[in-house]
Amino acid sequence: MSTDFFERQATAHRHTGRLVWLFCLAVIGIVAASWLVAFLAVDYVEASNAAHGRPNPPGLAMVPLYVAIASALLILLGTLYKIVELRGGGSVVAEQVGGRLLHHNTSKAAERRLLNVVEEMALASGVPVPPVYLLESEESINAFAAGYSPSDAVIGVTRGTVEKLSREQLQGVIAHEFSHILNGDMRLNIKLIGVLNGILLLGLIGAILFRVAALSGSGSSRKNGGAGLVLLLVALAVFILGYLGTFMGSLIKAAVSRQREFLADSSAVQFTRNPAGLAGALKNIGAKLQGSLVKHPHAAEASHMFFAQGIQVGFTSLLATHPPLKQRILAIDPGWDGKFPTTASSQATATAPATATATPVAATAATAVPAAMGLVGQQQAAAPAQPVADVAGAPGQVGNPTPDHHLYAAQLIRSLPDQLTAAAHEAYGARAVIYSLLLDQDPKIRDRQLQTLDQHSTPDVVKLTRQLIPIVDALDMHTRLPLVDMTLPALRSMSTAQYRTFVSCFQELVAADEQLELFEWILHHILLRHLKPQFERVRPARVVYYGLQRLGEPCSVLFSSLAQVGHTDDQAAIAFAAAKGVLDDVPLQLLDSSDCDLPQLQSALDQLAQVAIKQKERLINAAAACIAADQEVSVREAELLRAISDTLDCHMPPLLPGESIAPVAAAGSAQPVKTS
Amino acid sequence: MSAMSAILIALLVIGGIILLLIILFISTYNRLVTLRNRFQNGFSQIEVQLKRRYDLIPNLIETAKGYMAHERETLEAVIQARNQAAGGLQTASANPGNPQAMQALSGAEQLLTGALGKFFALSEAYPDLKANQNMMQLSEEITTTENKVAFARQAYNDAVTSYNTYRQTFPPIVIAGMVGHGQNAELLDFDSEQIAEAPKVSFT
Repeated sequence: MSTDFFERQATAHRHTGRLVWLFCLAVIGIVAASWLVAFLAVDYVEASNAAHGRPNPPGLAMVPLYVAIASALLILLGTLYKIVELRGGGSVVAEQVGGRLLHHNTSKAAERRLLNVVEEMALASGVPVPPVYLLESEESINAFAAGYSPSDAVIGVTRGTVEKLSREQLQGVIAHEFSHILNGDMRLNIKLIGVLNGILLLGLIGAILFRVAALSGSGSSRKNGGAGLVLLLVALAVFILGYLGTFMGSLIKAAVSRQREFLADSSAVQFTRNPAGLAGALKNIGAKLQGSLVKHPHAAEASHMFFAQGIQVGFTSLLATHPPLKQRILAIDPGWDGKFPTTASSQATATAPATATATPVAATAATAVPAAMGLVGQQQAAAPAQPVADVAGAPGQVGNPTPDHHLYAAQLIRSLPDQLTAAAHEAYGARAVIYSLLLDQDPKIRDRQLQTLDQHSTPDVVKLTRQLIPIVDALDMHTRLPLVDMTLPALRSMSTAQYRTFVSCFQELVAADEQLELFEWILHHILLRHLKPQFERVRPARVVYYGLQRLGEPCSVLFSSLAQVGHTDDQAAIAFAAAKGVLDDVPLQLLDSSDCDLPQLQSALDQLAQVAIKQKERLINAAAACIAADQEVSVREAELLRAISDTLDCHMPPLLPGESIAPVAAAGSAQPVKTS
Repeated sequence: MSAMSAILIALLVIGGIILLLIILFISTYNRLVTLRNRFQNGFSQIEVQLKRRYDLIPNLIETAKGYMAHERETLEAVIQARNQAAGGLQTASANPGNPQAMQALSGAEQLLTGALGKFFALSEAYPDLKANQNMMQLSEEITTTENKVAFARQAYNDAVTSYNTYRQTFPPIVIAGMVGHGQNAELLDFDSEQIAEAPKVSFT
């Protein structure tokens, strides 16, 4: 299994493609079979009519066609309906299985610990922090990730998981769920469930028709030329085909799901570099009587998204959505003796044997820790340039956060003043945090902005914003975007009316200084991108371009903008050339800064979001090469890179500041080093 | 038209209608559940803030005790109102949207707000208390928490309104009663004619 994000995404896409075809074949087969059954039934009725000298009713010959069309429509309808429903977002799924949204100011320490683990993990992988739902009445150990994209993803956790696992084990479970989010598994699953639902609907309707036909047929069937009999047979056949189709479909779905689970396990281990945590969680499931089964009636719909087998399956392991527990444990902990801990709950803190070495622990991991610590106390004025090595490796880190990122994220959260984190964690204060981030450095403009805020917002929010100003001003610039990520779950809990007010205030603030600044644009872009799906209907980006050759214009805008940020004109030319070196088959032209303003950059990015995943990899490689061309990376460049990769749905872990992981000299060449 | 094809077409049409009805039923039901979950989650946000408020009040009274020895009645009234409101919150959080529970909570909250208002008004007469660092912090935090409650309450009320509106529109109203969504959820309103204003605290 590949360790490269783009490869994994591409695999997920290929899988989806292949499966959708397989399912299409199955649907065509089912429709054809229903036609055939109807045809045979009609044939039989015709023959028996001829034998008894009865005339054939006209229109009889058309019955097979009607049946085929009806079943095709049914499947299509059922599929579309389910897909539309599931696209409602992860929160809908989480609420349907009985989840309760968790808040940061909960009084229960275990719940706060869970929220902290999720937050650290999200910041380390560069995705918006997902809301966390607790399945309160579930004693078992299980968790799931749901949603269509990282923007509307949520994480659901059973109470058993929160209470019975140690922090390390919890981390393993959450990392597993994050890799589902990052690997594009959720999208694949939604399509699969959709088609399965369509086929299931066919079976259901068949069953209903069969009953109706059997009832009406028993009374007066003989006289109408066997129409009742035909209907009865056809309904029976549709019923059988529907259920058979569902069964076969479930087999396919379960097989794919099992494979994705192994992948998620290995990604989780790679992420935390702590096989013991994940293995410990799995062992705890094995030791528990209640195991991982989830009782809620809607659990079956989300069964493939769970951390471990969530529903009881019948006679065969072929239908299991998860690989057998023992196999999973052995895959990450080969030294396991096959025994589950006996007193599992007291075992919570002691974890698996230290011999577990599924992934080679990078020798550099330990040395990077002080680097992450270096973050605290760096002031904005000093806004340090980063060594190139970090950025050069960045494309390889997309979707592949490392323990260093994890440490960095934890450190970063701790470095933020309490007042700020407290505000960011609830909707009321989160708005003030965002407003204060938008304020300009220039006191004149700032005054104007605050006046605008006075007019458009309530006095208490303005007051809170004013209180936050000194704190936000003193922040390290690196922490600005992670801070925005932190506010997202709180902002998502606003009502639609509150969201509208918030967005209009936001836009007024941006407009108040009469010029669109780069950071304002980035903030606007990231915030709306991740908030919109919650409140408005958004079309998910579709792959339209499989190559970059026809996209010379948007690429030119993108790389010209990148080259001009933080570079002088001469350097810009060099930086642009570096990007051009990566994308040698694309007609690129260095544009004047007047020709690539932010609105143009926006539309260029929107267009580039529609390219296939492998091409996105090239774009990000080129972007990294571009900003690294002058051997240093400013915060502005790093933020822009983050915004760009975010638009392309490639979530990039934060660039680690301070001393580099690899010696700078080794990365002297501007060519990005692809780590895989 | 023969009997055969007439029957067939009729059956297909009926089947189609049944199918549409089933889909309509399921999607309406799911929508109702989603909307209810949404306002229930909205209530849990109010709950978090109210709890915080109820936790702060005893500290406030404890701080004031030393200065306001002669106002025992007022202090006790605040504590009593606080306990009552905390009880009301407990019932309400078990049953968000329930009219009785919501009205009980809002009544208790109004009482508490009134008692606090009186307390703060009286405290104006004690300059030492006003200058107390602890007191200043606590009353500031209580005000902030009240603002947070107001914001969360607005989100909750928005969610309740959209649930009620959806429930009363045409297709849902037919099935809402059958599937346990027969009652409007209750808005949460803490303001009344008598006590229109939140307690004003000024320490200048």
